[in-house]
Amino acid sequence: MSKPSDLIQGTLDLLILKTISLEPKHGWAIAKRIEQVSNEALQITQGALYPALHRLEQQGWIRGEWRASETRREAKFYALTRAGRVQLDKELAQWERLSSAVALVIKTA
Amino acid sequence: MNPRRWLGAMKMRLRSLARRGRVERELDKELRFHLERQIEENVAAGMTAEEARYAAMRRLGGAEQIKEECRDMRQTAYLEDLGKDLRYTGRALRKSPGFAVAIVLTLGLSIGANSAIFSVIDGVLLKPLPYPQADRIVRLFFSSNDFPKFPINPFDFRDFRARSHSFQAVAAINRSDVQLSGSGEPVRLTGFRITAGYFGVLGLVPALGREFAQQDELPGNGRLVILSDRAWRDKFAADPEILGRKIVLDSQPFTVVGVMPPGTEHPGNDYHAVPYGDSVDAWWPFTFDGNPNQRGPHYMEVIGRLKPGVTPAQAQAEMNTLVQEVGREHGGYSGWHMLVIPLYREIVGADERMLLVLLGAVGLVLLIACANAANLLLARATARQREIAVRMALGAARARLLRQTLTESLLLALIGGGLGALLALGGVRALVALLPAGFPRADSIRVNAPVFVFTLLVALATGLLFGLAPAIRSSRVDVQQALREGARGATGSKHHQRLRDALVVAEVSLACVLLVGAGLMLRSFVNLLRMDPGFRPEHVITASLSLPDTDYKSDAAVAHFCDQLVASLAAAPGVKAAGAGSDLPWTGYDENDGGFTIEGEKPAPGEDFHARYHVATPDYFRALGIPLVRGRFFTEGDRKDAPSALIVNETMARLYWRKRDALGGRVTFTDNPKEKDWMTVVGIVGDVKDRPDAAGAEPAFWWSMLQVPFGQMSVAVRADSDTAQLANELRREVHRLDPTLAVADVRMMDQIADANVATARFSLFLVGLFAALAITLAAIGTYGVISYSVGQRTHEFGMRMALGAARSDVLRLVLSRGVRLAFSGLILGAAGALVLARVLQSLIFEVSPADPLTFAAVGILVLGVAVVACYIPARRATHADPMVALRSE
Repeated sequence: MSKPSDLIQGTLDLLILKTISLEPKHGWAIAKRIEQVSNEALQITQGALYPALHRLEQQGWIRGEWRASETRREAKFYALTRAGRVQLDKELAQWERLSSAVALVIKTA
Repeated sequence: MNPRRWLGAMKMRLRSLARRGRVERELDKELRFHLERQIEENVAAGMTAEEARYAAMRRLGGAEQIKEECRDMRQTAYLEDLGKDLRYTGRALRKSPGFAVAIVLTLGLSIGANSAIFSVIDGVLLKPLPYPQADRIVRLFFSSNDFPKFPINPFDFRDFRARSHSFQAVAAINRSDVQLSGSGEPVRLTGFRITAGYFGVLGLVPALGREFAQQDELPGNGRLVILSDRAWRDKFAADPEILGRKIVLDSQPFTVVGVMPPGTEHPGNDYHAVPYGDSVDAWWPFTFDGNPNQRGPHYMEVIGRLKPGVTPAQAQAEMNTLVQEVGREHGGYSGWHMLVIPLYREIVGADERMLLVLLGAVGLVLLIACANAANLLLARATARQREIAVRMALGAARARLLRQTLTESLLLALIGGGLGALLALGGVRALVALLPAGFPRADSIRVNAPVFVFTLLVALATGLLFGLAPAIRSSRVDVQQALREGARGATGSKHHQRLRDALVVAEVSLACVLLVGAGLMLRSFVNLLRMDPGFRPEHVITASLSLPDTDYKSDAAVAHFCDQLVASLAAAPGVKAAGAGSDLPWTGYDENDGGFTIEGEKPAPGEDFHARYHVATPDYFRALGIPLVRGRFFTEGDRKDAPSALIVNETMARLYWRKRDALGGRVTFTDNPKEKDWMTVVGIVGDVKDRPDAAGAEPAFWWSMLQVPFGQMSVAVRADSDTAQLANELRREVHRLDPTLAVADVRMMDQIADANVATARFSLFLVGLFAALAITLAAIGTYGVISYSVGQRTHEFGMRMALGAARSDVLRLVLSRGVRLAFSGLILGAAGALVLARVLQSLIFEVSPADPLTFAAVGILVLGVAVVACYIPARRATHADPMVALRSE
């Protein structure tokens, strides 16, 4: 099963968790937010985003809730659960370790 | 994943499954929302409404694909898809019932055969013996180069029992049937004399009363008996007051001290063998009479229960030092040692290989059936290539398609397995009926839970095995190619063709292996039947009698009875010859007599003269049809006061009188012979082997019944033709002479002869059956592949014929392809058979595992079958119409 994604495997999860860590967002908003914050460097395709959201929900890290959106249409807003918060910390720590390690190799090797 | 989280995830999954409709709607709504936002954004960026919609949809990608992936992520898909796959499979199978029936039938048949054979293996080999901690029970044998398994002297046994430390308990048994009289016709009970604690060794406890103690072994104390549950019920109406009651055995009163519970299985023994099972009626104490320094006679069979943690090898080492110790005290056992063999090995050892060969054979059949099923699936996969390509183009994931194809094969295999289980239920009953009489543990063969589990596992493995290759192949469709070709009908890729050819070659080669095995067994069986048994078993009726010592106190009394019986039987109408002897051919043998002296001859260095010993009346040989080679049979003159006469067999004459004629030679059985102790060889008779499949005859000799009378005798009567009524005649004559005698084991001699080839016949029948099944399946497989390729190439054949090819050319073209496949299979199969036939070595008689005749016959058969299987499609190829071919282009 191939999943079209430019992102390193697992990184998308981290981005999603981080993005909704301040306030619940729906899919569209999550994608937009990531694009904006990364200055359009990270393009999230829907083909990757929604399966990831459903997987995270399945794992109990996020919970979806239908609410009126800013356009007053109903949208599914995703919020972090308690387990999700723990997972976010874990993934952040891991990311730090990984990126500093990569940086180290690039600078010194 | 910790348990709480896992539970949460499961709840989610169930929710997703239970509220499938709602989850689906939500998913739809969620994606639509996204799409609308995208459109809005596009419009805001200045696109027209229509442009905005198209751009948004392009951006979103395949909505269905995303949904599918989301469902996958929710993992409800597994369960949901399973239902869908099953429904789809059901539809597909209903559409091509022939295909489904063909696969289910072949699989059912071969899975059923596997389950049936497995239930035999489970009952005979896998189920533990019905004794507590049966793995600690061992048999003990004396052993030397000449006698690999020799019984043990009773006083030696007593010494071993007192001195060994390896055993929790050890006991000795000796077959001694007894005659029960009292009410009605006397009957023979199969009996054993046993030492104290015998049942303790087996871990069994009497249901009533007690077992024997060492005190019962003292001379004079032995008039006690323990009855089997069966004897207690049949002969004594399950009398609850039986303990302490006196019953008459061999004309003497015995006190009943115990009754064993039902299911008391005799562990089997070798001398005057009684097979393993519920086969013994009565046990009475072995008493240690006689001179304890007489260590010559060896007739006790010893069984022991090892202490926990002691291995048979350790026990054997200890026993070996004891053998030497006892030997030093009583004049030497040089060259002798002790064998300690687990009881399980003794009971099933002989049949284990045969059963494993059968399992192997039936396993090969299953592999062939798998190859066949795989072939059929491949053919269908080719036919469905376009459908699969379309589904892939519409966004079906490869894994999804793979799973669906596997669902199909697993479903087929499970239905086949169900059918197989049903077949096994019937097949096992047939198998048990076919088993040779006395087959160990035959009554514990049952189709039970382990057999069903085995069937299920085999079915699942089968489904994976035959489904995987076609599934992988078909999911690897090149979508574009297939869609483009689709218009003209899929041609089936070269990969498919190659895989199918390989499968056919594999099938043929496996079938070859089985055919070679069956061929070797057939040759072996024919050899067994064709072999001159050394006697003529037709029209001979036999029975056994045992004259109680108390009624026949002197040798003269026994000789007198024998004389009269044989004379009156010989006078009966239709009787050609009547004789009596110590035993009959092929019914097992008593141990050898060794250590005799032959006048003027010396045994080979390091060896001893030894021979099977028997006793015979004058007409014994004539009644059994054992030919006289030279000299004479015994006569009425060879009685007590006449010079002692001896008859030897050819092997003994040849082996022991190397330079001289055995006829007239003299033999003695005493150490310091006087003139009267010498026995003279008066005749040489033909050889009879111990068993039909023995390598050769053992040396043997006969004493005259009138000079060395035997109270335990077998009677043989040869008649003109009809022997059926002779049985009554025989009983009448015996009872006229002595109404208290039981006439036991009334059998035709050809029944006895037949029982000796029963195992060979059984395995031949089954292997033959499996081989026939195998070659049929391989033929179907070959037919399928050739027929399919002919179907594919009809157009080509039409063109060829339009261009001038004769029908015979086309015929040859098709046939040669089939024969090429069969030939490849044949070569592979022959090579495999050369390697595998070696496991048959011990099961076949006078045939080399590389028997050229068998291999040649199998080769011709396989090629012949291949030609026949290809002929039908080849004929069809020649009927390809050139005009149709041209027009369709």
